[in-house]
Amino acid sequence: MVDPSVAAPHSIEEFVKGYEEGGRLRGLRCANCGLVTATWGLACSRCGRYPLEEAELSTNGTVVAFTIQTVPGDEFLNDAPYAYVVVDLERGGRVTGWMPGVRSDEELRVGDPVHFVPSYKPGVQFAKGSGSPGPRPEEHR
Amino acid sequence: MRETWVAGAASNRFGKMKETAREAATRVSMEAIRQAGLEPKDIGYTFVANCLGIADHQGHLGPLVNSGLGIPEVPSATVESACSSSSAALHEAFVHVAGGFLDAALVVGVEKVSQLDTLTATSYFAIGADYAFETKNGATFPGLYATLANAYSRAFSTRPEMFGAIAVKNHANGARNPHAHFQKEISMETYLASPIVASPLRLYDCCPFSDGSAAVVVVAKEFLRSPVTEPLVVRASVRSGSVTDMHDRPDLLGLPATRTAAEKAFRQAHMEPKDIDFLEVHDCFTIAEALAVEDLGFFPKGGGARVALEGTTVRDGKLPVNPSGGLKAKGHPVGATGASQVVEVFEQMNGFAAGREVPRAETALVHNIGATGGSCSVHIFSRR
Repeated sequence: MVDPSVAAPHSIEEFVKGYEEGGRLRGLRCANCGLVTATWGLACSRCGRYPLEEAELSTNGTVVAFTIQTVPGDEFLNDAPYAYVVVDLERGGRVTGWMPGVRSDEELRVGDPVHFVPSYKPGVQFAKGSGSPGPRPEEHR
Repeated sequence: MRETWVAGAASNRFGKMKETAREAATRVSMEAIRQAGLEPKDIGYTFVANCLGIADHQGHLGPLVNSGLGIPEVPSATVESACSSSSAALHEAFVHVAGGFLDAALVVGVEKVSQLDTLTATSYFAIGADYAFETKNGATFPGLYATLANAYSRAFSTRPEMFGAIAVKNHANGARNPHAHFQKEISMETYLASPIVASPLRLYDCCPFSDGSAAVVVVAKEFLRSPVTEPLVVRASVRSGSVTDMHDRPDLLGLPATRTAAEKAFRQAHMEPKDIDFLEVHDCFTIAEALAVEDLGFFPKGGGARVALEGTTVRDGKLPVNPSGGLKAKGHPVGATGASQVVEVFEQMNGFAAGREVPRAETALVHNIGATGGSCSVHIFSRR
């Protein structure tokens, strides 16, 4: 009998652990159409092919679109204003993240290079310029 | 497929409700049923839309509404599709009536959120987005549409006044709608002076958190009983979907779910955009109205932000858009919004829209988006 189950290369929890503790962005690649994404799924959201393959995403990219969040949600209450960014990563994959300390439209431009940085705050965090993620900072809350 | 009709439609005043969601939903349901010339016992099924019942300590509204209507034995279910919940419920009603499984169905949407503080409301409203891959990375609901506005403004070199004109227009319409949350006009100066919520979106680009309820009665021809109201023929009832995360779509310059729903709806109705007299579209943010009128096929890409400023989409313009005031001014009680858009069409075509009438309206298209376009409904209605 055929095994009907399909496995994902990693879980959402493993994705979060990857960026929180491992300093890496774990992604998924479709062997059929080439879609690369961080967004979890069993099958490709573009062409439907499954299963997907594990893809190690670059931690460097450029800003595609952004907003300055003045009125935040509850998990970012003490961090506003900050930038919410859509980022095209080198070697493929489009992800979202946030940039603490970017407080106005004048401080960021579409096309600017950014790089992923590990953090104790929630979410995928980016900083200006290209660079390596570096170690996770000491926890200070 | 049987010919299917909207025989009754009713709404309360959006804004802040004193009564519970259950009371409001039951009252507008009774009104819509009686407007249709029917009695509650004629209803074969109740499709409820209520996204944030948890905010009011009450889920499972269907049996409560039906019991309050004196028809506890009538089956019910809640349909959830974020901001497009009640248009999704309407589609369910359409499918059942058109398919011959029901003769008369009640669709009722309701939301009560005004008791929440802004922080809690902001977090609740974000639940239609992708928590793990958008919200957790810092996006609020306005933030996601702001990202679209950022990309759009860059691609088409917009000016703030273009989006301001959408807000000014919808407030002018809402000022003439007794159901509207905001019944006051605003000036371009007021728009431009309002604070930034998520750049480039200002406060007056955003719809409010509203309480409200709206109901629609969907029937087969044999159940057209009202001697006083004119029913609407449902020419098309279409749902579509798209990848939830905006950043996983081919581009940030439109909502693909709107495009596919519109194409299917025009095919189903055997109509083209030029056959439509006015639109009720999903303007949770001004950018959303600009995208909607483009993606629905009425204006070319980049044109949607200009048409309000040019006067094309005002109430007596060539193609009126959101004569109700839209989500922007009428308000956005999430689960009630889709049904309330149909209420506007019903009132326009029945001459109940005094003061905001669209001249010579025979056909209308209604567009309702779930969250940032993971879901979409398009309905087309016409007079008999």
